[in-house]
Amino acid sequence: MKRNLHIVLAILFALQIAGQAQNKSGVTQDAKAASVEVKIDNFSFTPATITVPAGTTVRWTNRDDIPHTVVSDDQKFESKALDTDDQYSYTFTKPGTYPYFCSIHPKMTGKVVVQ
Amino acid sequence: MSESDTGERSLVGAKEEIIHDHNHDGIDRRGFLKCMAWAGAGAFCVMHGGVLHSYALNGLGGFGGHKPKGELSFVQISDSHMGFNKAANPDVSATLQAAIDKINAQPETPAFLLHTGDISHLSKPSEFDTVDQMLKSAKVKETFFVPGEHDVLNDEGKQYRERYAKDTQGAGWYSFDKNGVHFIGLVNVMNLKAGGLGSLGSEQLEWLEKDVKRLSKSTPIVVFAHIPLWSVYPDWGWGTDDSAQALGYLKKFGSVSVLNGHIHQTMQKVEGNVTFHTAMSTAFPQPKPGTAPSPGPMKVPAEQLRAVLGITDVNYVQGKHTLAVTDETLS
Repeated sequence: MKRNLHIVLAILFALQIAGQAQNKSGVTQDAKAASVEVKIDNFSFTPATITVPAGTTVRWTNRDDIPHTVVSDDQKFESKALDTDDQYSYTFTKPGTYPYFCSIHPKMTGKVVVQ
Repeated sequence: MSESDTGERSLVGAKEEIIHDHNHDGIDRRGFLKCMAWAGAGAFCVMHGGVLHSYALNGLGGFGGHKPKGELSFVQISDSHMGFNKAANPDVSATLQAAIDKINAQPETPAFLLHTGDISHLSKPSEFDTVDQMLKSAKVKETFFVPGEHDVLNDEGKQYRERYAKDTQGAGWYSFDKNGVHFIGLVNVMNLKAGGLGSLGSEQLEWLEKDVKRLSKSTPIVVFAHIPLWSVYPDWGWGTDDSAQALGYLKKFGSVSVLNGHIHQTMQKVEGNVTFHTAMSTAFPQPKPGTAPSPGPMKVPAEQLRAVLGITDVNYVQGKHTLAVTDETLS
């Protein structure tokens, strides 16, 4: 009886750990994909380069007092014009390097590296 | 021309001199700029028989002395950014109206208006509608436009072309003639590349080459486009990647004036036969190159705002090779 209880407890304990999925980079995730934030301000993307695991949603928020856009160099993704406090999200499912820029002010550039 | 001890400028008779005449054609471009640099806002430099005269404008925008006979006068306004409402100017309608009032107060009605782009702030139909409505109160008979990057958002410039560029080529470039002067409206805000500056593109450049080929070299040329066609400050995107090619097609002409906007401040440069000039905005100022972390809207004390916004008066006297370009602030 006692041994069966120990086995049940051990299984329950194992299930609990398994239910808390942890990815390789050590970032704790909930059941849905994590969101990484990029701030747009002063005509720049901050951080300018981010590295994320595949499946991550990146969310850009415009804190500048001028509209900006987020457009990938090869037009894979493209936001509408974002006014102050507007946001744009894109989920990166495939590994690769994704350079992007603001199509209104093309000197503003950034990069998403997906592993 | 002299400055009194209190630092006030006064006109003590018109000064006449030719300073530089590299082309030996009586065109005194550097002297012209020197005259304008002294005169600043509220004054006027005009060529008569190859010699510069300066004239003071009185507060109402009239002439303080002998008025030169102008054959063609028009006004450039720029960067109205209808829809902008942040701290740098919470009421861009009021300042655009002040610009229109200033135009309407001129003793002679300008032949037309040139708007060098960023008509709207977010390419919203309501923003375009508001500017169109407001411009109806301007006394001018017609207005010519070129788009800014804020006018072609989300729809590749479709709305802009439908409203302002119905009989034009490509993204909205065109040319027309007035009183013997050839005007060329160029579009350098489309298909911008990552890390790049303004761009004219090969299709437009080909059109430009053909457009000016048949003109005699004595035809005065006025080019207007939103982003400056010279390298004002590349770090901030203040320049056009392929403008050198465009200017190459204009090399044969004795007088080329380039009118731009985009940088929300006046700046000028002379390069051979070409005089470049940028206009103030009617909405908000921007910092001088490199003096701020970014080229965004610059806040000034409310009572100083209208002193850094303005319009540009352009006067062409037939037979003379240079346009007289004068910037006027709103207050």
